[in-house]
This record gives sequence, structure tokens and C-alpha cells, in this order.
Amino acid sequence: MNTTIMVGMADFKVGRSPDKLMTAGLGSCIGVCIYDLQAKIGGMAHIMLPNSVESLQGNPLKYADTCIVMMLEELYKLGVIKSRLKAKMAGGAQMFSFGDKKPLLRIGERNAEAVQQELKKAGIPLLVYDIGGNFGRTITFDIQTGDLNVRTINHGEKVI
Amino acid sequence: MEISTIRLEALKEIGNIGSGHAATALSKLLDTRINMSVPKVWTVALKDLSEALGEYDTPQVALYLKVEGNAPGKALFILSLESAEYIAQTLLRYTERPDLFSDEMAQSALREVGNILVSSFVIALSEISGINLHPSVPALAIDMVGAIMDAVLLEEGIIDDNVLIIDTKLSGVEEMKGKFFYIPNEGSLDKLLGVFGI
Repeated sequence: MNTTIMVGMADFKVGRSPDKLMTAGLGSCIGVCIYDLQAKIGGMAHIMLPNSVESLQGNPLKYADTCIVMMLEELYKLGVIKSRLKAKMAGGAQMFSFGDKKPLLRIGERNAEAVQQELKKAGIPLLVYDIGGNFGRTITFDIQTGDLNVRTINHGEKVI
Repeated sequence: MEISTIRLEALKEIGNIGSGHAATALSKLLDTRINMSVPKVWTVALKDLSEALGEYDTPQVALYLKVEGNAPGKALFILSLESAEYIAQTLLRYTERPDLFSDEMAQSALREVGNILVSSFVIALSEISGINLHPSVPALAIDMVGAIMDAVLLEEGIIDDNVLIIDTKLSGVEEMKGKFFYIPNEGSLDKLLGVFGI
């Protein structure tokens, strides 16, 4: 059976082909997929904040640094080979601007940077990404093909 | 975040009064009767939020205002596309439904509606509690409700694992479907309820 596994905010899920992984309505959050195409195993995380060092409290899956490490552990348990791992990511938008008000914390941008940094640290190549803008994204990752589908409301749909 | 039953009841009552004021303001603005339901006050875990919001990736119109003052929070008014089109059309006396994505007059009218609605809610809240509160300039987004919610929650860069939400539904005319959320910032709850000794 082909199932779509839903990933909530501040959460990650792993799966095997033919499963698909999906997270809906990414705003300033980042959806990051790490996968081993040969073993047909992959994971998707919905990351909310850049790092746990400044502000660790509560659920560690909120943060790029802690969440990616935990997802990797889970992927290794399923049998992925480190040298074959690849990553893709999407999200990191700036949904609102208040015009005259002081600039916001640019969380989306900082989230994207933090995820990139964590992947680099883990030695996992980031093949492609679709980040920024001021619109939301719903992403679906196909573990079988490694395709990441990115859907938006008014900015088209694409596969990266 | 653990909240006692008595606190939830008190919040519901406060939300009720605030929503009542907001509904009256909106009714006057549109010259038609708009009802707001008795608010649901609840705490929801982040990972369940998109599920709780429903229709998390269909396009909706969101008006977002920060509530500043001694007990800050965030107010979010979420409307279906049809409702927002209906409101803009009524206010601007258009003969046809506007295209909200491109019509700046319509966007501006909606921001004003958000302003009036949230202001009346906040004024009521401020009057009951005696705490100084005032809303910011409204921001508008037409997008997936999940994306809007995560941007709103994360704006301060820190966040609790659970979010306390005062949630009211709008109804009245057939086209009118909307939700109003009020999310008190950390610490604001103690101040708002502390006034009543709860």
C-alpha cells in the first residue's frame, strides 16, 4: 500500500518506499528531507527555529540542530548508508511585513541557514532547495524517486 | 502549558465579551447581522496545530495584528476567500467580486476591517482588565493557513510547545465564514487573569 505520512510542526517522520512524506503549509518553517535513494529510505522534518543553544526549552524537534541529529539516528536505525545520504529543503518564507515597523527577526532566512549548516556538519550534500519569498509551501517527498514536490497557492507548483 | 478549568472559564468569558464587541463593529460596518460563536478556549500542541486549524493548505485570507501594551498578544482574523471577497465587495460597493490577489483597494478595505474588528476586541479586553492594550497596523496575507500560523507563532523567535488560543467562529450571511484567534504571549495570561485574582 502506498501511504502518505503527514509531518506536523516541530516533528519528523521517516519511511520507506513506496511511502510519501508530506508537510502542509510551511511558512517561515523549513521542511527538510534526508534520504538514501538506493535503500529507498527517507525522512522529513518540519523545523521551526534555527538552534537550541540560545533557547532550548521543550520539544527538541523544534530546532534545526537537535531535530536533524535525531532524525539521522532514526534513519541509521532503518539502515541508510551515510555516504549515500542526500538532502533537499523548502520553506523559509517571510509571510508578513509591517512596512513602517521595525524589521522582523527574519526567522525564515535564519532557519534555512541553520539547516544548511547542520547538513554541512553531518557531511550530507544539499542537492537543491526552494526557499524564501512571502508565500507558503506544501511539500511532498517521494522516497521512491527522490522527487520533492513543492506546491504554493499563487506561485505555481514544481518538482525539485 | 497547563491551564486550570477556572482559568479557561474566565478566558472564555473574556473572549465572549471581546467577540461580542467585535461582532457588533463588523455588523455595523457591513450593515448586516454578523454573529460570533461563544469562543472556544484551548491549548494545542504544535504538531497538532495544522490538524486543529483544518484546511491547512487551502488559500485563506489572514489579517494579523500584534497587540501591544502591558499584556501583549497576537490577533489573527482568518476568512475564507469567498467571505473576504464578499466583505470587500460590500464595502467598496463593487458590482462584481474582486480578485483579492491583485486588487489593492480590496486588500486595503480588508485591512481596515481587521483593524476595526481587532480594535473592538482589544478595547473590550482592555476595559474589562484595566490593562493598557493597543493593536498594531494590520498585515494581510492570502495563503495557506498553516504557513500563516507558523509565521505568526514564530515572529518573536521563541515559542512554547503548546499554544493557548481563543477561537471564535463568525457567521451571519451565507457567504460569511471566518475565525478569530487571539493568542496571548507568554506571561500575558497571568497579567490578564491576575486582575480578577484568578
